[in-house]
Amino acid sequence: MLKRTKLYLAPAFVVYTLLLIVPILGAFYLSFTDWNGISASFHVVGLKNYVDMLGDARLRNAIVVTLKITLIVSVTVNVLGLFIATLLNRAGRMINVLRSIFFLPYVISTVAISFIWLSILSYTGVLNGILEMEGLGHLVTDYIGNTDNAIKSICVIEIWRTLGFHMVLYLASIQTVPEELYEACTMDGGNSWQKFRYVTLPMIVPGITISVIMSVMTEMKQYDIVKVITNGGPGYSTETITYNIVTQAFGNNMLGYSSAIAVFLFFIIVAITLVQLKVMKKKEI
Amino acid sequence: MKKVKPKSVVLWALLIAMVAVFALPLYITVVNIWKPTQQISSSPMSLPIPPIADNIMSVLNDPNVSILSMYRNSVLITVFGAGICMFLSSLAAYYLAREKNRLSKVLSLYFLFGLMVPYVIVYVPLVTMFNKVHLTGNLPGLILVFVSGSISFSVFMYQGFIGGISEELEEAAIIDGAGSFTIYARIVMPLVKPCTTTIAIFIGLSMWNDFLTPLLIGQVKTITVGIYTAIGPYASDWGTVFAYVMFATLPIVILYLAAQKQFISGLTTGAVKG
Repeated sequence: MLKRTKLYLAPAFVVYTLLLIVPILGAFYLSFTDWNGISASFHVVGLKNYVDMLGDARLRNAIVVTLKITLIVSVTVNVLGLFIATLLNRAGRMINVLRSIFFLPYVISTVAISFIWLSILSYTGVLNGILEMEGLGHLVTDYIGNTDNAIKSICVIEIWRTLGFHMVLYLASIQTVPEELYEACTMDGGNSWQKFRYVTLPMIVPGITISVIMSVMTEMKQYDIVKVITNGGPGYSTETITYNIVTQAFGNNMLGYSSAIAVFLFFIIVAITLVQLKVMKKKEI
Repeated sequence: MKKVKPKSVVLWALLIAMVAVFALPLYITVVNIWKPTQQISSSPMSLPIPPIADNIMSVLNDPNVSILSMYRNSVLITVFGAGICMFLSSLAAYYLAREKNRLSKVLSLYFLFGLMVPYVIVYVPLVTMFNKVHLTGNLPGLILVFVSGSISFSVFMYQGFIGGISEELEEAAIIDGAGSFTIYARIVMPLVKPCTTTIAIFIGLSMWNDFLTPLLIGQVKTITVGIYTAIGPYASDWGTVFAYVMFATLPIVILYLAAQKQFISGLTTGAVKG
């Protein structure tokens, strides 16, 4: 019998424990304190931070913004992703080229993508320039300076960034549907909509679930685009939960309080992950 | 059936229209790198004739900005971060996949836990710890942070993959007198190459593109943090912005075009499994 020494586990265990697990435990502990990051001493204040969260209008706004972005982006990338995937599935030899174009933004850093879109959507940017030129000057608006438009802009950017990824997931799902099922549907006189509705759709339910969960998970943690496009503003009206945590911690020195919000986000994400694991298990049966 | 059906004409028109709209921001970026800023606002869609490299030169000649050192930081973080992470993780996963004991079971779950964590939770304690031991802004420290953040994913992937390969080759090697590390290095690792590719692309790209981690832990000027801070004062000088975007995306886009299949399958299987 070969002996594999436990030492093989040691380096990964040490790095993972020291730099991930210990900080997580630290965040749980800090969430019960009033530490401001500067003074040497701090007090354990029990559940005060968590109680404060209930009355925090700024946090409530961040939660609403996050949910809005999550809802808009998840619905759009999944509906549009599935739609394009079904079209692309019939594109024959061109599949690979088109797939590569749609997927490209997903490999670029979100910061670079945000700057591309900032140049398009800014008041002095490309889009307004085009409108002006085409004599559509009355349509010129500020896509970033007011809250409603800014949130929509953030959604558009995120949809553009992740659409190709979801499209590829759906394409892979669709390609696992056995050809015989479509043939059977044709024999029964089904048209292409009926093929989609009664063959493709039921067969890719696991794929849909995974894709939806992935987009929800990504958007619940949204930060980068907000940072570049609006910096949370105007005021703090476009802050997401992650943005709120980072600003409260590193901008306002409320380390204890921001840790409490982070713990709250942690439980939301864990809950979504548990749902995901359950779904994945079902798929394997 | 080589007949062109009206249906497929509609299909193609629809697809081409969608690709065109989708690719528009990329087109705008590519053509406007080569125009002066006034021309960008007056005719953003025109081709840059003649192309002018002023934007790129002004970025390269800016005394406060060093694209080269940004590349250096990002390359070091990505290569060492992903490399160290994959070495530590595959070693641990080799033990976990082959030794069926209580320790294996407990540690598998322990490593898996990291996959659920929204990473933002670790920044405050991590920055505090780093300040205490004066590791802030230190590249090796930052690399270890990136390593720790990707161990869960890598261990999980390697464990599944190693668990799926038969032990016969390893048994043959034992009879030949090979030690367990030799077996790991000479037999197991070559067999799990596809898995290594997936992990390398998935965690490598996430390290290269990460913004928040190098920003908060010592403001290390990687390519993402670097262009973010460099653009700051020029935020409406679009020519300069496009030049920075080009520097930030070019290396990845070239790699992507050279290995599209690996990138797409690596990133999707990585995301679905992790």
